[in-house]
Amino acid sequence: MLDEPYRWVDAIRNRRDYLEDQLEGASPVVGVAYAAGVLLLTSTPGPRKLFEVYNQVASAGVGHPADIEKLRKAIIDIAHVEAFNLSASDVSLQRLVAFGLGPLMKAAFDEIFRSPFIARMVVAELDPSDPLETFYTIDADGSFSSSAAAAAIAGTADSAEAILARLGKDDDRQVSLEEALSRALDAWAAGRIQAEREDAEEELEADRPITDEDVVAAIGGALDAGRIEAAVLDRTLPTKTKFRLLTEADLEGALAQFR
Amino acid sequence: MLDDSGDFLSILKERGQLPSPQVASGFDTERVGPPGAQTEGTTILALRYRDGVLVAGDRRATAGNVVVYDRAAKVLSVDDRSVLALSGSPANAYEIARLLEISFQHYRRTQLQELSLDGRLRMLSRLLKDNLPMALQGIGAVVPIYITHEVSGPQAGGHIYFYDVLGANFETVDFCTTGSGSPIIRGALYFLNRWERPFAERDESDALRLVLQMLETAAEFDTATGGFKSTAAIYPQVMRVTGDGITDIPEADLATHYSSLQVGS
Repeated sequence: MLDEPYRWVDAIRNRRDYLEDQLEGASPVVGVAYAAGVLLLTSTPGPRKLFEVYNQVASAGVGHPADIEKLRKAIIDIAHVEAFNLSASDVSLQRLVAFGLGPLMKAAFDEIFRSPFIARMVVAELDPSDPLETFYTIDADGSFSSSAAAAAIAGTADSAEAILARLGKDDDRQVSLEEALSRALDAWAAGRIQAEREDAEEELEADRPITDEDVVAAIGGALDAGRIEAAVLDRTLPTKTKFRLLTEADLEGALAQFR
Repeated sequence: MLDDSGDFLSILKERGQLPSPQVASGFDTERVGPPGAQTEGTTILALRYRDGVLVAGDRRATAGNVVVYDRAAKVLSVDDRSVLALSGSPANAYEIARLLEISFQHYRRTQLQELSLDGRLRMLSRLLKDNLPMALQGIGAVVPIYITHEVSGPQAGGHIYFYDVLGANFETVDFCTTGSGSPIIRGALYFLNRWERPFAERDESDALRLVLQMLETAAEFDTATGGFKSTAAIYPQVMRVTGDGITDIPEADLATHYSSLQVGS
């Protein structure tokens, strides 16, 4: 029956609805560029969500943990095979996404008798050859887009948009890590609040501006339920790998006011 | 199903990107002698001093009687705490070092934990074992030293391991030297460590002077070992492996020590 075109389109539509349902509760991931590199930030009830892919590449995902693991493993494998066959400097985010993650997620999404990856991914590269490709976000259907100064993935499109809107048009990448952390935390809270309002179907609430009290409540809630996780790709690190998970001490300055 | 073992070598083999070398048919082992009999023209030296391990290698690459290159790097860092010092066939040695580095990185990133010291030693053994056909044919023997400084756990501190051509590894306590120049300095190293002053008590400056003296001695009697060449400012390669990580000893420091020793001037 699926060889009939409209049935196939119907099945794909069902998959999109299924994915939206599965993803809508996800905690967003925010990415911002800052003076020394790139910052990724999210909240988690415990397990790590931000990962090193290669020396200058990091990834994060929202969705089903097992699917995020598969995608994380896949992109790491691709990066290292590339580094072995060519060289470390030939591992680029653009190629990892365009020829790796994107097609992998698209293929799973199109195979309607198998489960798609219930995940959205954001991948960041430190100092890519094209500065407009610092971040890539990849949706569950394999579609991807790049950005220069900021990126967000979330359970819903509106939540991700709320994050980017909160970050604004400010394209100043020369801010300190402390400033970047504050901006990312504030934007993450905006995405979380938007998702909660959608979830509660508070249609009247949806357009209400986000206040400082809302932000404090959202971040406080995240700290009660788990922890804030952040990682950087820092070009000032002396090691080959530029990825570093921020410690609680690194985050304390930004989080103290919310405890 | 994706392979979740974190074994990068298996991934390459599954994809056909790591062909196993074979012994060519009709190959005559009498012609080149047993594995390890081929010359490993170089001198590599590692010794434990007060703060960690110094690893040094000369810069000369030879083919028979011909000096092919005078700036070869034979001491390579494979991660943030360990280095591989290589004697043997450069092509295979570099490939093994490269595979080792990427395998360690791949394991750490996929498994979210460092590969244990025993796991790293085993991985290098596997690579050497895989290389056996090349060694048997007399064109690809590799005899490395693996030096690491473990930052925590029961094996914390500096360690020096040497391998035979078949992949067996042995830990040495005070020092290790391989390559064609090593027999020349091995006795001297033992003597100095046993009856002069133990290397483990020496500071870095003292240990560095000793390393430069030993390489110069090896170069004096072994044509495959390059000495300090003042006219071209070619210095040996020396790395320190300590709890703070791996750092190259800058050529300026080597020059200062050479001056103090009045060697090569």
